[in-house]
Amino acid sequence: MSMFTSPKREDDMPEDHSFGGRPSPATVIAGGVRVEGDFTSQGDVLIEGEVHGNVTTTGLLTVGPQAKLKAGVKAEKAIIAGIIEGNLEVGSHLDIKSTASILGDITCQTASVESGATMDGRVEIGAKAAQPGQKHGAKAAASHDGKEDE
Amino acid sequence: MNPAYAYIYDDFLSDRGFERDIASLETKLNTFELAGRIGRLALFRSAKDLVEDLVRQGATTVVVVGNDTTLDKTMWFLPDLDVTVGYIPVTGPNAVAKLLGIPVGVEACGVLAARLIETIDMGRVDDRYFLTEISLPATIASLEIEGQYNVSSMHGGSLTVRNLGGRVGSEMVVADAKDGFLEAVIVPMEQERSSSLWKRVPTAKGTSIHLRHGVITSKDPVEAVVDNHAVSGFRFEVSVVPKKLRIITGRGRRLGATGVLQDHGRNGTVRSAQKRSLTARFSFPR
Repeated sequence: MSMFTSPKREDDMPEDHSFGGRPSPATVIAGGVRVEGDFTSQGDVLIEGEVHGNVTTTGLLTVGPQAKLKAGVKAEKAIIAGIIEGNLEVGSHLDIKSTASILGDITCQTASVESGATMDGRVEIGAKAAQPGQKHGAKAAASHDGKEDE
Repeated sequence: MNPAYAYIYDDFLSDRGFERDIASLETKLNTFELAGRIGRLALFRSAKDLVEDLVRQGATTVVVVGNDTTLDKTMWFLPDLDVTVGYIPVTGPNAVAKLLGIPVGVEACGVLAARLIETIDMGRVDDRYFLTEISLPATIASLEIEGQYNVSSMHGGSLTVRNLGGRVGSEMVVADAKDGFLEAVIVPMEQERSSSLWKRVPTAKGTSIHLRHGVITSKDPVEAVVDNHAVSGFRFEVSVVPKKLRIITGRGRRLGATGVLQDHGRNGTVRSAQKRSLTARFSFPR
């Protein structure tokens, strides 16, 4: 019952600042979870569940292979492995994985696309995409219409 | 006696089994010249009235003596008083003491004497404060965040909104109580076949969202646990009150961290910390 006779020493524990100080909170939407509405974040976002609405983040957006987004998406950087039905605007680099399926227009600065990914919509690579939360005035450097299978 | 200090003893400390411990504690406090007035919680005595009376008598540091349950009995009103809060855990449960870096027993007097004060956020659910978390263990309730979007588990699950964190099984889960945010964690249930039956089990991964304000709603009445106190209702409004509580902490405090503290010690000593990161939780199939 009493613990006075054997006090524990906690001095070996590191102080909190040793692993604190993250730049911004990370957001995770796990599988089996649905988000409805305008989802906005200032940090990195990982989505493995479902989103209906809009997604905006100033950080890295990662869409997992099981994720389904029926949403307009704006992000500074993005890695897409799941399904997106909606326009995708990326400020800098877009990484499209082989399991990705994007039904909508894509705007980004640079992109890499793995073999097996499917896209259906206009693709503007090298365009100055809008900052997340702003209207975009894209300048097309390259565009493709129709379904693309690499 | 130091009039600036007041001590709130939980009623279980009147048990004879704690006599020696309390005597040792009071001797140590005398050594540090920290002995002060003592108020004792009792079944039909209002903790709020007791503390407010001690504050009127000049106490500026209120020290809760007991365990995490004692802390729970006082945290709902302490943030509104102009005091610094101390904590001397005498016995378990003491997960909050670990998060605050406060050792159990007379060693805590050294922490009190050092007066390493942190100002931390407090959570608020409807009209009461909470220090650790509000949790709905199995629910289909949804969480509306900042009035902009709703988050819900598709097949039910647990919903927890954390300020400081708490104990989940053998692990202590820490949220950052100094970042001006609460952390909502939703762990959905998934169906798993067990022999001839399907059963619902929590998935390994949880949803984590940071928020300042949210509303938990359910069509059916649900029971929530707020700092180990059960409340029930259809709607809970949660928010964070930044920099609301001045609290004395130890060197091993975990206030600026997030993640899971793994508990490997036989006596519950925390020995390692694991920071949650996106890269560690997610990898693409090749």
